[in-house]
Amino acid sequence: MNFLKLAFRRLFRKGEHALTRIISLTAGLAFGILLLSEVLYYFSYDSFYPDADRIHVVHENFKMDKSSDQLESYPRVSGAIAPGLKAEVPGIEAATRLNALGDHMIYTNDFNSYSATISLADEHLFDVLPVPMVSGNPREILKSPMTCMVSQEIADNIGGNVIGKVVEIKNYPGKKLTIGGVFETLPENTNYTYDVLISMVSTEQFTWDGTENWMGNDRYYACVKLSPGVSPADLAPGVRAMQVKHQDIEKLEEEHQGVVLQYSFMPITEMHVDNVKDMIIILVTIALSVLFVSLMNYILLTMGTLITRAKSSAIHKTCGAESKNLQQMIFSETVVIFSVSILGALLLIWGLKPVAEAQWGHNLTSVLNPYVIIPLTLLMVLLVLITSYFPGRFFSRIPVATAFRDYQQKKGKWKLFLLSFQFIGATFILTVLVIVTLQYNSMKNADHGYLTEGVYYGSTEGMDGNKVDMVLNELRAMPEIETVGLGYDVPINGAAGNNILSPDGKQELFNIADFYEADGNYLSILGIKVSEGENFISGQTAANDVIISKKGAELLKLNNGWTDGVVGKQITVTEHGNTTIQGVYPDFVVQSISNPDVRPSAFFYQPEEKFEQLKIEDPSTSFNIMVKVHEGAQDGIIDKITDIFNLGFPREDAEIKSLEAEQLNAYKGQKGFRNAMLIGNIIILLVTIIGLLGYTFNESARRRKELAIRRISGATLSDILKSFISDLEFVAVPAVLLGLIGAWLTVDKWMQNFAFKVPLHWGIFAVCSLSILLLVALIAAINYTRTANQNPVDSLRQE
Amino acid sequence: MLLQLNNIFKWVHSGGQRFFLLKDINLEVEEGEFISVMGPSGSGKSTLLNVIGMLDTFDEGEYNFLDESVHSLKEKHRSNLYKQYIGFVFQSYHLLDDLTVKENLEMPLIYKKIKGSERKAMVADMLDRFNIVGKKDLFPAQLSGGQQQLVGVARALIANPKLILADEPTGNLNSKQGEEIMELFKQLNSEGVTIIQVTHSEKNAEYGSRVINLLDGRMV
Repeated sequence: MNFLKLAFRRLFRKGEHALTRIISLTAGLAFGILLLSEVLYYFSYDSFYPDADRIHVVHENFKMDKSSDQLESYPRVSGAIAPGLKAEVPGIEAATRLNALGDHMIYTNDFNSYSATISLADEHLFDVLPVPMVSGNPREILKSPMTCMVSQEIADNIGGNVIGKVVEIKNYPGKKLTIGGVFETLPENTNYTYDVLISMVSTEQFTWDGTENWMGNDRYYACVKLSPGVSPADLAPGVRAMQVKHQDIEKLEEEHQGVVLQYSFMPITEMHVDNVKDMIIILVTIALSVLFVSLMNYILLTMGTLITRAKSSAIHKTCGAESKNLQQMIFSETVVIFSVSILGALLLIWGLKPVAEAQWGHNLTSVLNPYVIIPLTLLMVLLVLITSYFPGRFFSRIPVATAFRDYQQKKGKWKLFLLSFQFIGATFILTVLVIVTLQYNSMKNADHGYLTEGVYYGSTEGMDGNKVDMVLNELRAMPEIETVGLGYDVPINGAAGNNILSPDGKQELFNIADFYEADGNYLSILGIKVSEGENFISGQTAANDVIISKKGAELLKLNNGWTDGVVGKQITVTEHGNTTIQGVYPDFVVQSISNPDVRPSAFFYQPEEKFEQLKIEDPSTSFNIMVKVHEGAQDGIIDKITDIFNLGFPREDAEIKSLEAEQLNAYKGQKGFRNAMLIGNIIILLVTIIGLLGYTFNESARRRKELAIRRISGATLSDILKSFISDLEFVAVPAVLLGLIGAWLTVDKWMQNFAFKVPLHWGIFAVCSLSILLLVALIAAINYTRTANQNPVDSLRQE
Repeated sequence: MLLQLNNIFKWVHSGGQRFFLLKDINLEVEEGEFISVMGPSGSGKSTLLNVIGMLDTFDEGEYNFLDESVHSLKEKHRSNLYKQYIGFVFQSYHLLDDLTVKENLEMPLIYKKIKGSERKAMVADMLDRFNIVGKKDLFPAQLSGGQQQLVGVARALIANPKLILADEPTGNLNSKQGEEIMELFKQLNSEGVTIIQVTHSEKNAEYGSRVINLLDGRMV
């Protein structure tokens, strides 16, 4: 018998609840597939490289805190390490290094601009991380000065045949690069992405050249390809020998009385997974919860419909069907319903594509690779087998003789058991959602220690240095603008690092978040008030004087034994030399609350004229022009500021940012997680409500006679509801408690990512659990009231 | 001998007591017999039919069908046995609502693993024989009660069973339709098919060559 054909027919039969089952399954599958595909996608990172299992990323391990035994691992090394490893460590087949320049605009001679991620790379890059070439010889290109190659995507944007064309990077005016080749655009699932590769021999044209450095300037991404059969552990003696020879490591260790620097090798395919391992645990937990609840609901509803089909089981048996035939029949039905639901889920995902892509930060089509599709397909097959097995087993075991009389399901504790999983899931995800939302809101609205409202800024990257003064004057002339200031970076973007030395200059006391130079208006625009000493004052403050955060001041007092404060004291800071402390300001949040830089921070004074002069002398210098807008004058202000900025940009491509928007953007990860939780919550609640409706509907039918007899015996509606609802709550209460425990464990893990945590007050858990218990009671009350209000005589007649 | 029941007992427990549904049933049925089982409601007629049809188990006694000891067979063998030799006809017809007449008839053949082409021929024969060719693509709900029972009988017969077990086959039919079905049984019996029917009707019982009366699970 063609069970599949029959299964399709059943989709449209009344009483099968096919649509209900498909809706709840579709919702659960869509969410589960979306989350699991993302997790599997993480595992596919860099697996597209040939011999990916032999490619390893070199990590530098060192002590961040000298008093600790813990070694910090950092996936960047000094410039000479990669070629050194290739030349001196047996077992390394090839080694390469990349030096990221970051995201930039590139210009072609026809005045068009293109956004691109740019990196410097040595000529061995494709020996380790090969990408198919469309044209050109990568080794030759990456050996030739001021030559680059571009991705197919960039080449297509520029207009096809790009070989021999000259491009220029916005931030490095005058540095002409000749395109020598085109490579196939990299997939998105890679740890190291680039659209333009510039030969490493051109380094000094763009940044300080540290390619020969054995220590320091550790900004090179080094990758090695091990010889077949070699493991990272086999490399240790060779690496040590290299360090002894080139870094004089033994002497350094003696001086520091312990480990100073080590190198380790992480498989390139594990890099991303290692970075997002906490997120993987959370996503998998949520995905499996939603899937599990959805499947339990499917089984519950299916079993409910099978009870009404008991007679057909018996008929098939009288016609000679064996248990396996009936199980095949249920399997076919499950396959059909699952197929429709998976199709629905894929359509739903497609519909949510823009939202999902914004959340994940990559194209959804990127997950269409074997690392994602094969495990997901296997999971779907497993789910079909599981969800068809239990109903099939039940259906095939219905006794024939009983089925022909009046088959009534016994109390069926299994139904409550299945329902309890839905209560667990609903409680779990509702509680997680509430806490994630509270955490997100508290971070978003928290006082970061500086003002963002009405603060706008734009980089001078690409601006004509001779026009900076004019732009500043024009900005000051705008009636909407209150103050104009200059500085190198804003708090939300974080800061570089430098060390404050001891007064004798022999010891590094601590590391600071170095915001480099700022003028006299910068701090006041940010609303940062100097609490000791005074702010930078144009014309009075000496260049290179420093203002330091309170935490830094306290550390200086502690380390140097200063009892009379820090203002006016001389300190030495690496890269800045000797400087005088001009003032102290209260600590503010550097970067974001979700990822704070807890180091003390500092600003160094630089007068406006000096900023302008540096820009004229070196056009690649860039800093921020920051403005504070009068209250109530923000409408259309970005466009107006952009117009002024564009006066200084030859290509009129200035980009103005709102500090408030940038700060909000720093929490987009948490917002996305909150949104994912919200969608998950809606789905689980939907599924739970469907499950509850199904359960109470079946129970009403099963206990119709009992209800009628109770009514005839004088029970009030309230008595009946109490009895029926308490049966449900008896299961719901422990389930809700389990859900709360799961939520607490998950949230606790998630909150480890934050320095600032919203307090996990017991009231949150109480409200969430009560909400679920009330929901259960409400749905049960509505459904049971309908049955209890039926004329008892009719119910008994039906019996 | 087609089948033999020796000292069959079947009971259920209720309130700590044992209630007998069948009590010491001894029955021998020869091939070609037409037996009518009669008795008041609750006397165990349908239970006896289900036991004979191997749809229900019993608690004590022996049951031999064509020299096979049914009581010691596993489900698969039991199912093979009744699949091969027994056809069922029910008072409520018990056609599958989501299958057409043709598909309902085809079902027992599929479970007997008969090839597609052979199945088609057998279904066509049966549709012809019962004069329901025009109804082959209709669903049961589109047929009258009598037509449904005709399909039910045709389905019971399609696999050429030796024994037809009919549980009040005319119970839901009007007198004319009932008579037609009983005439059909008579004809089948004359062609060699053994029939055991449960009935409340004296008139229908007379179609049988032997009448068995049951009371409180006992043969009287």
